[in-house]
Amino acid sequence: MKRDRIVTILSNVEVAKDIYELKLQVIDFPCDIRGGQFIHIALPSEVHLLRRPFCIADFDKKEKTITVSYAIVGEGTQLLSTLKEGQTLKALFPLGNGFYFDKSVKKVAMVGGGMGVAVLPAIPTADPDLQYVSFLGFANKNKVIFVDELKKKGEVYIATDDGSVGVKGFVTSLLKQSLDYVKPDVIVCCGPEVMYKALKKEMEGIDIPIYVSLERRMGCGIGACLVCNCKVKTANGEKYLRACADGPIFNLEDIVL
Amino acid sequence: MSNLKVNVAGVEFKNPIITASGTFGFGREYSQYYDLSVLGGISTKGMTLAEKAGNPTPRITEIKSGMINCVGLQNPGVDYFLKEHLPWLKTVDTKVIANVAGSTIEDYIKMCEKVSVDGVDMVELNISCPNVKAGGASLGVDPKNVEEVTRAVRDVCKKPLMVKLTPNVANIADNARAAEAGGADAVSLINTLSGLVVNYKTKRPILSNNHGGISGPCCKPVALKMVWDCYNAIKIPVVGMGGIMTYTDVLEFMICGASAVQVGAANVFNPMASYDIVKDLERYVKEQDLDINDLVGSLIANGGGQCGTTCG
Repeated sequence: MKRDRIVTILSNVEVAKDIYELKLQVIDFPCDIRGGQFIHIALPSEVHLLRRPFCIADFDKKEKTITVSYAIVGEGTQLLSTLKEGQTLKALFPLGNGFYFDKSVKKVAMVGGGMGVAVLPAIPTADPDLQYVSFLGFANKNKVIFVDELKKKGEVYIATDDGSVGVKGFVTSLLKQSLDYVKPDVIVCCGPEVMYKALKKEMEGIDIPIYVSLERRMGCGIGACLVCNCKVKTANGEKYLRACADGPIFNLEDIVL
Repeated sequence: MSNLKVNVAGVEFKNPIITASGTFGFGREYSQYYDLSVLGGISTKGMTLAEKAGNPTPRITEIKSGMINCVGLQNPGVDYFLKEHLPWLKTVDTKVIANVAGSTIEDYIKMCEKVSVDGVDMVELNISCPNVKAGGASLGVDPKNVEEVTRAVRDVCKKPLMVKLTPNVANIADNARAAEAGGADAVSLINTLSGLVVNYKTKRPILSNNHGGISGPCCKPVALKMVWDCYNAIKIPVVGMGGIMTYTDVLEFMICGASAVQVGAANVFNPMASYDIVKDLERYVKEQDLDINDLVGSLIANGGGQCGTTCG
C-alpha cells in the first residue's frame, strides 16, 4: 500500500531571491524515486488545506533525504518559507510518472527555465553509460539555482534575460545553437509553458524526442479529482489526461499548448 | 451495545461514512492507499450518458479553509463505468452509489435505467448541473423541476433513489419536500456552494469557468443548518455533507438529522481522510457504548429569539 509519509525539515533556506531550498529527512524512504516525479506536501495549517505539489529536485537514498526548491508565489509558499528545522510535515511521494530513458539513449540534454531548473538535479541516474548536459535559463543572476549541483553531473550552459550570467537571451535558442556540438539523443525540459511553445518552434524538423514536465494547479495529486488535467493528442483525438497521475512528464509532440 | 451500522432507504451501510461524488473517482486511486471495504459506501464520480471532457484548466484553487472547483463533470460515460469500473467495485465489500447527471430529463431517465443493475446499491441524482431546456439553469433550483425530474425517473430507477440537493436555492427545505413528493427515497446535501475567486492584479477570475463550487470545512455551518432544515421538513432520510474533516464533524451532522454522511473535499486534502474518520468513529462509539443511530436528529435547539436568520 502507498502511504502518507511523515517527513522532518532538516533545513529551509533562501538560496536566491524569494527562492528556497527545503531539505527533508524521510524515515521510511521509498525504494524507487525517479527524476521528474513530485512530492505533495501538506502544510501545517487549518486554512491552507490543499497540498502543494513540488518536483523532487534531488534525493539521497543513503542519507534518506529529499530536496525541494520553491519560489514564494502565494500564501502557501509564504507559510512554508517560515517553517523551521525539526518541524514535521505530511507528504505523499513519489507521485507521477517521472522521466524514463530507453537503452539506446547515451546523452541527455536537460533544459530548465527559472524554477523549472529544480527538476533537473534528480534526473541523472547512477548508470555510467549516460551523459548529461544542462542548459539553464534564468531571469538574472539573483535567480540562479542548482548550478553547482548540475556541474557535478556534466557540462552546464547558462542564459539569462539580462546577460548578468552566461549568455544574454533565451535558453531554448542556446540549446538549438549547441545541438550540433552536443548531439543529445533525448531532450528533457522543465519551465513555463511559453518556453515549451518556443522549444516546439525552435526544434521543428529536428528529430530528437523531447519530454517536458507540465505544471498544473492540483488537488488530490493521485489521479482521482480530475482538476489538474492537460489536453493531449491521442489516436482518438484530443483528450484530457491527468498531470498528476498520467504525467507530469509528457512528450512535447503530444501536448496541446 | 455500540453500533455503527446505519440503514438509509433500505440500504444497510456498515458505517455512516460514504465518500462523496467527484472527490473519489471510482475508488481505484484510493485503493492504493487503503482497503476500501472499511467504507460504508462510495458515491461514484458523476456520470453522464456520453463521455464528457469537462472544463479547461485552471479547475481548482484554494480558498481559506476550503477549495473551489469547476471540473465540469469530466467522466468516461456510463457505459465505460458499467464495463470497466463496476466489475471491480463489486469486488469491494462496500455499498456502491451511482451518481448520475444529465442535461435533459430524458438523459436522467436513460441514466437511471442503465445503472439499475447488479452491483449498484443506490442511485444518486445530481440535479445541480446546467439543464439544456431550462436555458442552462439547473433542474435542482426550482422545486417544481426537482419534483418533475424525480418523478420522471422514479419508476425506471429500480434502486433506492437519492436526490442530491444544491444549496444555491431560496429555501432548500422546499426542494427536499419536492424530491420527497416526486418519490425520492432519500436526499443528500449539500452540493457545492457557488462562488467566485478573483485575482486583483489581473482583474480576472482564477477559474477557467469563472465561477465554481466551494467545498471544504468553510462550508460546514451552512451545511449543518440545511441538513437540520431538511430533516425537519421531510420524512425520508437525509444524507449530510459539507466540509466533514473529522469524526466529530460526522457526529455534528448526525445530531442535526443526517442518517449517514458523505466525505468529499477531505479526500482531496488527504487520501487517508475517510479511512481515518471511520477508524476514529469506531473507537468513539465503542468508548461511548453508543448506537450511532441514536444521534440522528438529537439536536437540542435553544429557545432563541424569534427574529430572522440574518439578525446580528
